[in-house]
Amino acid sequence: MSNAWSRRGFLTLSAATGVTALVGCGAGEQPEASASPVRGGRLRALFPGGGEKETLDPHVPPLFLDQARHKAIFDKLTELGHDMQPVPRLAESWEPNADATVWRFTLRDASFHDGRKLTPDDVLFSLARIMDPADTTRPAKSLLANLDLANSRAAGANVVELAVKVPTAELPVLLAGTGNAIVPAGYGDPAKAVGTGPFSLVSFERGRSMVARRFDGFWGGPAHLDELHLISAGDETARGNALAAGEAEYAHDMSAVYARTNENNPAVRIVAAEGAVAQSFAMRTNAAPFDNPDARLALRLLADRQRLIDVAFSGRAVLGNDLFGKGFRYFADDLPQRTRDVDQAKSLLARAGLTGATIPLHTSEAAAGMVTAATLLAEQAKEAGLTLEVRPRAKETYFADILNGGPGLWSYRAGSMPVTQDLALRMVSSAKQNITAWNDPAFDAACTTAQSTTDDTARTGLYHDVQAILHDRGGLLVWGHSDWLIATAQRLHGVEAARPNTVDWARFDQVWLA
Amino acid sequence: MRYAAQRAGIGVLQLGVLLVLVFALSEALPGDAAYVRFGEQATLDDIGALRTRLGLDAPAYERFLSWAGGLFTGDLGASLVSGAPVAETLTRALPVTLVLTVVTLLIVVPLAGVIGTVAGLREGSRLDRALSTLTLSLQSIPDFVLAIALITVFALQLRWLPATAIGADATTLLTAPALLVLPVLVLLARTTCLLGRQVRAGVIGALHSEYVAHARRLGLPRHVILLRHVLPNAVVPAVQELARVGDGLLGGVLVVEAVFAIPGVATEVVDAVQARDVPVVQSLVLLLGAAALLINLAADLAAHRLVPRTETRR
Amino acid sequence: MRARAVAPAIMLAVPLLAAVLGPLLAGAVTAADGPPYAPAGGSYPLGTDGLGRDVLGVLLRGGGSTLVVAIGAVAVAYLLGGAAGLIAASARRRAVDEALLRPLDILLAVPSLLLISVVAVWWRAEAWAIGLIVAVLHAPATARLVRAAALDAASGPVAEALALQGEPWWRIQLGYVRRAVLRPVAADVGTRVTAAVYLIASVNFLGLGLDPTSADWAVAIAHNRGALLLQPWSVLAPAAMIVLFTVGLNLLWDTMTDSTAAR
Repeated sequence: MSNAWSRRGFLTLSAATGVTALVGCGAGEQPEASASPVRGGRLRALFPGGGEKETLDPHVPPLFLDQARHKAIFDKLTELGHDMQPVPRLAESWEPNADATVWRFTLRDASFHDGRKLTPDDVLFSLARIMDPADTTRPAKSLLANLDLANSRAAGANVVELAVKVPTAELPVLLAGTGNAIVPAGYGDPAKAVGTGPFSLVSFERGRSMVARRFDGFWGGPAHLDELHLISAGDETARGNALAAGEAEYAHDMSAVYARTNENNPAVRIVAAEGAVAQSFAMRTNAAPFDNPDARLALRLLADRQRLIDVAFSGRAVLGNDLFGKGFRYFADDLPQRTRDVDQAKSLLARAGLTGATIPLHTSEAAAGMVTAATLLAEQAKEAGLTLEVRPRAKETYFADILNGGPGLWSYRAGSMPVTQDLALRMVSSAKQNITAWNDPAFDAACTTAQSTTDDTARTGLYHDVQAILHDRGGLLVWGHSDWLIATAQRLHGVEAARPNTVDWARFDQVWLA
Repeated sequence: MRYAAQRAGIGVLQLGVLLVLVFALSEALPGDAAYVRFGEQATLDDIGALRTRLGLDAPAYERFLSWAGGLFTGDLGASLVSGAPVAETLTRALPVTLVLTVVTLLIVVPLAGVIGTVAGLREGSRLDRALSTLTLSLQSIPDFVLAIALITVFALQLRWLPATAIGADATTLLTAPALLVLPVLVLLARTTCLLGRQVRAGVIGALHSEYVAHARRLGLPRHVILLRHVLPNAVVPAVQELARVGDGLLGGVLVVEAVFAIPGVATEVVDAVQARDVPVVQSLVLLLGAAALLINLAADLAAHRLVPRTETRR
Repeated sequence: MRARAVAPAIMLAVPLLAAVLGPLLAGAVTAADGPPYAPAGGSYPLGTDGLGRDVLGVLLRGGGSTLVVAIGAVAVAYLLGGAAGLIAASARRRAVDEALLRPLDILLAVPSLLLISVVAVWWRAEAWAIGLIVAVLHAPATARLVRAAALDAASGPVAEALALQGEPWWRIQLGYVRRAVLRPVAADVGTRVTAAVYLIASVNFLGLGLDPTSADWAVAIAHNRGALLLQPWSVLAPAAMIVLFTVGLNLLWDTMTDSTAAR
């Protein structure tokens, strides 16, 4: 299956912003990249639908489909590049004051679909709407928890000053998080979606489709397409069938099996963003047996990572080293890759008194490959006399169940997120998604120090040490980082292999049909 | 007439019990609308806050009564997920499913009638046996197996027909009938066979009956016997069978909507159950339950006319 | 048995034997796990599935959860529904009849897959629970069938003649009516088992039933559907088993009941 690596091809296209974030580009392969963009046409893009959940409101917790929708109609101040560092969007540039408590963002000359110009007031209105204490469903609210709106202000026709309550070196990264779109001041009725994005809304039917038209006044230069249809399309097989039968040109979130089936299909092109999703098992460190570091290490030594990758993702993943954020800035790349060692695992299990023990392994179909990987891990653990009792759980409730989680192992996956944010969200003891129930005062203190350190070299060193703690005795078994797969029709060009949550993902202003 | 009114009254009562049942079942599901809302982005704080905002902290009976109370003013409530009125969901999803089922029924009834009559009139002939075997076999192939087979052959290999009806609404289905061909074929297979066999049995039963024998003795022309005596009597059991066909059809719609990615009522029900969107589940079940009850009621009335029980007993 | 019944009987025997004897044979036959969706050939006569398991081995272990559960469910449905139907038909008071039948009608009013899709989320992954739901869903229909047959017999000329001769009511019910009911029941069992298999398979296919790594035939179809063109046997083999069973059973039952009716 390793030949899957040489089989990917995608186009290089200079992005209008100057950010050409190519992830895992298979060097040497450039399939007919020379074709120049053609104007016109209608793109039908298929995404997993969300029924009643789907929304035009860009400040509500988004499905991938909604994120694509909002990216077409709206913009954020910043987005994340391929290395999870901020790149300019509506904010052309930014600079902090000395202690990073006030940030000046210079806005681009951009127009809304109704012809109005973007002003600092729109930015302040949008942030206030996101922070609205009366609304509980604004996901960006927790990212911006330290934003001091009362002391933020317009500082000129195209400059906005944002104040934060504590020094925040990462504000431009936080503003790139999901749910941070800039809406026009006075925006209230989500049905009247007016943004600065490359497409303007024509119609939206929840659970079915959205139609948008090219906005010629787009600040990044008009899109190539005339029309964009974002269509809710049930399961993966239906999306694959529709694409293969020529009923659509773009299908989001496809499986490795689909990619394998269509490797030699001239009508279908697979676009793979490498290592986009961290695949893992979370061990609950607050209860037996995983309150014992020996037990945690034993499990990590038992996993046959390559076999998990080969079966659960047809080989389309890179090895995991028990840490999230591989390939991103601050990732501790030099820690030794953990490999399988059944004998050492056995002796660790014996020392922990777990020889022949039975441990629950919770899993769910909530995400691709999870149940498969859980089943395989259970088989691998048998070799050390350990019984992992696989317990499938309802997919709807699964990710909330983990937070209330009982002892044992839980299948878990995490999308692309900057290392710093990931630590704050999942690893410190007060984290909102502390899936491993990790509680280590020394670790917390090290995280806080790293966050407030402004010198970049020192900061990198501190983040390295923090990750070394997790690698050594943390509760995560990260076995792989799987590709994010998109299938397109052969006649669709300019689709970048970008991870979700990054600027080039689901970016339809840069693609064309030929 | 009194019997009909009585049955209708019972029907309303049944519907009430059904709703309480479904509500109790939805309550028993793990998690609620707030718990499942955030998916991978869930945090316990957000879940708690949303639960309060949606009023899910209120006791179950209060929530049920407030929804049921709205019914009397024609208000089906609002989705817990989108906040949009349930009526909006219905007007979006119902036409699609109606197009599917009505088109299917419009083909099923005459098709099954012809197949059943032809087979019944030639009882025991080679044609009858061939039709019998064919209908029995087709009727036994699960919808989803048939759907996968049809998509693979006609959409993916031959490329004659669309593989899915992704993003379609009722208008697109009607203006681009090619979209309907495979889904309707799947729905037809089972229903036509069920109904056709019932018509055949009815025709045979009528042909062997006393009054047809009598009509033959009187020397009535063959087509008169067929049209005036055989067919009307064969129709009654077929009408009763329609109730079963209706159930099969709704089950089939669930599978067909899933496989062909058609955004209709069944898809909405599955989505709403997964989102724990109780008002939407309740309203859709109310609708489907009412439809099923009406069909059953019609079948009951037909049976009542056939064997008026009050006269035969005692 | 007529010659016409031979082919259906063979069709039926293949999946039945696989379901009953398969689990015993599976251990000896199944090859060790390999790469996922390996094509047929070598040590894998039918290739492997998405988990790298031998499709033949999975096939041999996957029959019980559908066939045995379906047959059990129909038996339970007849126990419940048949009892209710007989009592309802023989009741002298209209109220008893109504009280017994109307509650069951509520279930009849719900599209069965719809109800399962609600209930299954709760009890997912339990074969017995799915069987029980299917039994409960079939009970109203069996009750109606038994009641109608019993009523027909009880209000027919024979029963009336017996009543006029002074036979006690209970003897008419137990003797004549019971026999009259058995025939339509026998005719019904075949189609009902098919319908139960059909329903259970649909539930599992839609992902509402057993967990996705189960060997169940319908689960295997759903799970491997995406690989239909990559490794066709992973889908076709379990699909063939289900179709052989349902078609075989229906055809066989048809010829059997036909021949009894002709006599």
